[in-house]
Amino acid sequence: MLPLFIHAAVAQDYPDYLRDESRRTGRAEAIAFPASATEVQQALDLARQRNWPVTLQGGRTGITGGAVPEGGLILNLTRMQRVLGLRHDPDDDCFYIAVQPGLVLQELRRQLRARSFDVTGWSTAARSALARFQTAPPQFFPPDPTETTATLGGMVACNASGACTLRYGATRDYVAGLRLLTADGDTLELRRGRERAVRRQFALTTTAGRTLAGPLPAYTLPEVKNAAGYCAADDMDLIDLFIGSEGTLGVFTAIELQLLPEPAARWGLLAFFPDEAAALRFVRASRSAADVRPAALEFFDKRALNLLRREREHLAALAALPALPPAFHTAVYLEFHGAEDEVGAAVEATAVEIAASGGAAADVWLADTAHDLEKFKEFRHALPEAVNRLIDERRRRAPEVTKLGTDMAVPDAALEDVLARYHRDLAAAGLDYVIFGHIGNNHLHVNILPETPAQYRQGQELYLAWARDIVRLGGTVAAEHGIGKLKVPLLEVLLGAAGLAQLRAVKQIFDPASRLNRGNLFVPD
Amino acid sequence: MHIVVCIKQVPNTTQVKIHPETNTLIREGVESIINPFDENALEAALVLKDTLGAKVTVVTMGPPQAEAVLRESISRGADHVLLLSDRAFAGSDTWATSYALAQGIKTLGAVDLVLFGKQAIDGDTAQVGPGVGEHLGWPVITFVRKIEVEGNLLRVESVFEDGFDKIEVAMPAVLTVVKEINIPRMASLKGRMASRKAVIPPVTAAAIQARPECLGLRGSPTRVIKIFTPPKKTGGQKISGAEPATAAQAVIGKLRELQIV
Ligand SMILES: Cc1cc2nc3c(=O)[nH]c(=O)nc-3n(C[C@H](O)[C@H](O)[C@H](O)COP(=O)(O)OP(=O)(O)OC[C@H]3O[C@@H](n4cnc5c(N)ncnc54)[C@H](O)[C@@H]3O)c2cc1C
Ligand SMILES: Cc1cc2nc3c(=O)[nH]c(=O)nc-3n(C[C@H](O)[C@H](O)[C@H](O)COP(=O)(O)OP(=O)(O)OC[C@H]3O[C@@H](n4cnc5c(N)ncnc54)[C@H](O)[C@@H]3O)c2cc1C
Repeated sequence: MLPLFIHAAVAQDYPDYLRDESRRTGRAEAIAFPASATEVQQALDLARQRNWPVTLQGGRTGITGGAVPEGGLILNLTRMQRVLGLRHDPDDDCFYIAVQPGLVLQELRRQLRARSFDVTGWSTAARSALARFQTAPPQFFPPDPTETTATLGGMVACNASGACTLRYGATRDYVAGLRLLTADGDTLELRRGRERAVRRQFALTTTAGRTLAGPLPAYTLPEVKNAAGYCAADDMDLIDLFIGSEGTLGVFTAIELQLLPEPAARWGLLAFFPDEAAALRFVRASRSAADVRPAALEFFDKRALNLLRREREHLAALAALPALPPAFHTAVYLEFHGAEDEVGAAVEATAVEIAASGGAAADVWLADTAHDLEKFKEFRHALPEAVNRLIDERRRRAPEVTKLGTDMAVPDAALEDVLARYHRDLAAAGLDYVIFGHIGNNHLHVNILPETPAQYRQGQELYLAWARDIVRLGGTVAAEHGIGKLKVPLLEVLLGAAGLAQLRAVKQIFDPASRLNRGNLFVPD
Repeated sequence: MHIVVCIKQVPNTTQVKIHPETNTLIREGVESIINPFDENALEAALVLKDTLGAKVTVVTMGPPQAEAVLRESISRGADHVLLLSDRAFAGSDTWATSYALAQGIKTLGAVDLVLFGKQAIDGDTAQVGPGVGEHLGWPVITFVRKIEVEGNLLRVESVFEDGFDKIEVAMPAVLTVVKEINIPRMASLKGRMASRKAVIPPVTAAAIQARPECLGLRGSPTRVIKIFTPPKKTGGQKISGAEPATAAQAVIGKLRELQIV
């Protein structure tokens, strides 16, 4: 007999849970929807008894197949969606919020805005922190991945980031505490600043008193925005080992997140340029100009804008925005956060840089109200939507093809060369594509849009060749979406065989039976 | 050509909360925006400015905070703004609002065209545009989806439920516009710099020579007795395909049958 929160017949009753946004489909013997850490423990016990692998799931918005099961038990955490408490830290004068892993980002945002939480079970200290929170200036949680139905657990597991990561950093920078269960059901409590490595050696004690210790990987990860491989550095804070580990080291059951005061003003600016070179000059200029300092710096190439033009009639998101004049070739989006005056001054400084780079102040759209900023958000959402629509159309003719989306960040100096290489190689191969993304972090997504299986394979070869060269230049193979199951070959490109073996040695210490998220990061023996 | 656009600051929600005792709107805690249809009116004016070189003045009547929507208008390209703000205006119904706006417009010198949104998303009466036309003594065309200018003539298309009229009208005139007329532009950098520098003093009832007895609650003949959601209209019957005269006979027959006439 299975406990009530665990169900067999997954394919029949819960088919959607065999997939995530990678559109890959897996299989499973059973699915568990635990409502508490105790139930997570029970589910892990059961998996141990039956010798099942366990695949963890949050919102299943991942696009690398990390939450797609390959047999065994699915442990879906979406029923654990409570806010557990608030804390005010007098040392940094910041608020911290503790949540269960299944809470989705948009719901966290909603509750923070409303400043109202279900306080059942909150401690007295948490309740008095709430009273303080309700009279303090509004607070927000900065990480801003585009997909807001992601869970906090999934975001921490993938170290998710977004457009404003340029200014605020990734999810990692806001995780102050973690509680997790290892594969055999032991609890680890981590608090930022408390558990540290000694050079490359770590030792952690579970609440049951067991010590987990060993060497950290010896590799040095690239110094760019990154979401690939276990974090490893001399004397590192050990909480960072688990952030971005893609559910391979433990199940997060509680997460404490840092909040920041909401900026008084947020403005968006969409600048259009007559060619790509001018846009790139502007990107360089706006990154170095001391008085510009955008919170976000995003790029849309000519093909991305053309796709939006072509798909306009199908995209509800674009209905509120004027049509793009034909002369608009390449676009750069900036967002400014701060006091009203600061933001106004930054926008004026930006106007100067636009003109100096070969753009025109007249070809700029500005959003200086929350209402208008929403339109720009829709504009940015419209692009992946348009890409998916196009791919779905092509799949009707050739079901084997799918989108090939790259996720690589490169060092500052390499940006222009890498972008030129993308264009050159794709043109030579005769492939359809669009390029857009977080240019402020030198992190552009190339979306290859194959029409035939042969083109799909061609695209895959290009992707691998780029990855090799980008790693050589000091870049990463996955800057925000992680490795999951789809990008396993790329992790070895990044870490090398030796580095990958060191990563697997860490995994071995926490999960000797290789039960958790089998197939993520590397192919098990 | 001088175009005036009347815009209203409204709460960003279609769920208007009404104070149970005073029957006035409760606006606290809701983001304020330009009434969406008025964005279309402003855009129509700016398109004429781009193509014919018009001067665009934007007018609003409201509390001092309504200044924000005027700044937004400058950011998008308006040349001048007029903020009618005075305690004397408070509590005005659509008639008194129309009177005040008309008085304000009369202080702006020669005006060729006054544009309105088709209705406000909070008050929803669609009365203010026609009211201003009445006070100015100018022709009014409502629900306009297309405007062409030829000399002193306006050629417009005015929509109704299942069709549209093509109408020619001489300026000066008053038009109210529907959403499908255009897609409003975003603010521009040049506009934003101008709006940052703009000084927008509130203009009082005295300054527009408005008679106090025509303003506020005193100048408002409308009395809100009760506010309720009307029952949904049911089916109805459509008489079609027949000659107009036969169809009219059929309608009369039906009305007699129901003992309505
Ligand atoms: C349209 C679209 C846009 C996107 N935009 C962005 C973006 O801008 N930036 C970005 O970073 N990502 C983006 N993503 C990818 C995705 O949203 C993120 O990777 C997100 O962090 C996944 O969260 P999730 O809750 O959906 O996790 P899932 O997809 O369910 O799982 C992701 C991984 O986390 C593991 N996991 C989940 N919960 C836990 C837990 N409690 N403990 C341990 N491991 C766990 C899973 O096993 C899996 O390996 C986008 C995806 C889509 C579809
Ligand atoms: C008895 C009574 C008392 C009222 N008391 C108050 C009160 O105390 N406080 C209050 O805020 N409201 C009050 N109102 C509501 C107020 O009269 C209406 O909001 C206003 O007249 C506009 O009407 P409407 O919203 O139906 O606009 P509509 O007639 O639907 O608007 C049509 C167009 O007219 C223009 N327009 C409308 N209003 C303005 C404006 N103010 N400035 C510039 N252009 C405009 C816009 O272009 C708009 O698209 C009262 C109404 C009544 C009947």
